[in-house]
Amino acid sequence: MSEFGCGCPGSATMDLRDVDTSTDEATTTKAPSQLRQWPIQLHLISPQAPYFQGADVLLAADCTAFALGAFHNDYLKGRSLAIACPKLDQGLDVYVQKLTALVEDARINTLTVVMMQVPCCRGLLALASEAVAESSRKIPVKAVVVGLQGEILSEEWV
Amino acid sequence: MQRYLDTGIKDVIAEFPEVGTILQDYDVACVSCYVGTCALKDVVSIHSLPLETEQELMVRLAAVLTSEQERGLPQPTPAASRSQTPTASGKDAPSKESRYSPPLRALVNEHVLIKRWVEVIPSVLAGTDVNTTEDRQLLLDGVDFIHSYADRFHHAKEEDILFKYFDETQAIIRAMLADHEAARDHVRQVIEAVDRRDADQVIEHLSAYGELLSGHIKREDEILYPWMDRELTTTQVGELFSKFAAVDRAVGPDFTPNYTRFVERVEALVTP
Repeated sequence: MSEFGCGCPGSATMDLRDVDTSTDEATTTKAPSQLRQWPIQLHLISPQAPYFQGADVLLAADCTAFALGAFHNDYLKGRSLAIACPKLDQGLDVYVQKLTALVEDARINTLTVVMMQVPCCRGLLALASEAVAESSRKIPVKAVVVGLQGEILSEEWV
Repeated sequence: MQRYLDTGIKDVIAEFPEVGTILQDYDVACVSCYVGTCALKDVVSIHSLPLETEQELMVRLAAVLTSEQERGLPQPTPAASRSQTPTASGKDAPSKESRYSPPLRALVNEHVLIKRWVEVIPSVLAGTDVNTTEDRQLLLDGVDFIHSYADRFHHAKEEDILFKYFDETQAIIRAMLADHEAARDHVRQVIEAVDRRDADQVIEHLSAYGELLSGHIKREDEILYPWMDRELTTTQVGELFSKFAAVDRAVGPDFTPNYTRFVERVEALVTP
């Protein structure tokens, strides 16, 4: 693994091609998709959609699905999904309103925020926390941090 | 060795008192447990000790429990069930340092107020005269705190909601339920003793209640709840949070502040 450049950790170029990815599971099984809805982008989803009502919701940073090899089975399975990028997306205030509507109107059961380890990704958890703080109804929020090579660095209730 | 791993911890300690001492070295407080029916193997695994620590503990236990011929290192809990890496399917694998899930954190926070009352019990008893109306009322106010806050509010959340997510025949849950019943019995005895103005019985049973609750809360905070958090799925955590919130709404917004003020009042009374 080699690293190029300096500056923002979220944009720093990293070459991971020499990381060993050859496992039996990766080469012999085809993992079925656990996605049970469309759309998934946070600007596009509707809190009124039936699959959000009372659901365990996964709020995933865009990059996590690519970094985390077992994203579907370990995190998406059994959950409704919204994805976003707290660094590049516009209209973050709308995101907060959408998340607040999920808590208040869709009465979701839990919110699991999956983000990358880069500092800018923490903004996604901040959006979720702001939404819950603004809601009269409270729910458990879990934060999962994914490393650049797909390892789980932490997983804890906020 | 295997025979003892499947034996209730109280029986093991009765036969080998050194086992109790060894467990205490690892903050495993079975010696003071009210019930002690957990099997030794469960006692070891449920504490989720680091692998090296558990191996060291098992070696020390084996030295006490086995003959020279039998002696060998019993197999510790499989690494997968103790991993510090969170597991799939919404289950966590928290260490002692990990945060509680929100519903269990709420129970731990309720313990804080109960512990504050328990801590002032010796001072209350030392300065109380059961022959005065004022002091009898103070004792009965304390009993009301136990009845209403510690039992009907807090223990009911455990018994009516939390424990229903688990197999209630498991030794660790039976031990907690036995603690609750023993606490209730002590409180009944305190009420009767206050009514009879029997100072000795008030002291005996309220002191016993305090000692019981101190150990009980420690076991729940350090053993039961972390274990439950490892077992609960994310969905179940959300359900528990919702059900506890419903209980909080049912008792009303003044409930906890009122009992907090009671504890503060007693603390002020006994503080020189």
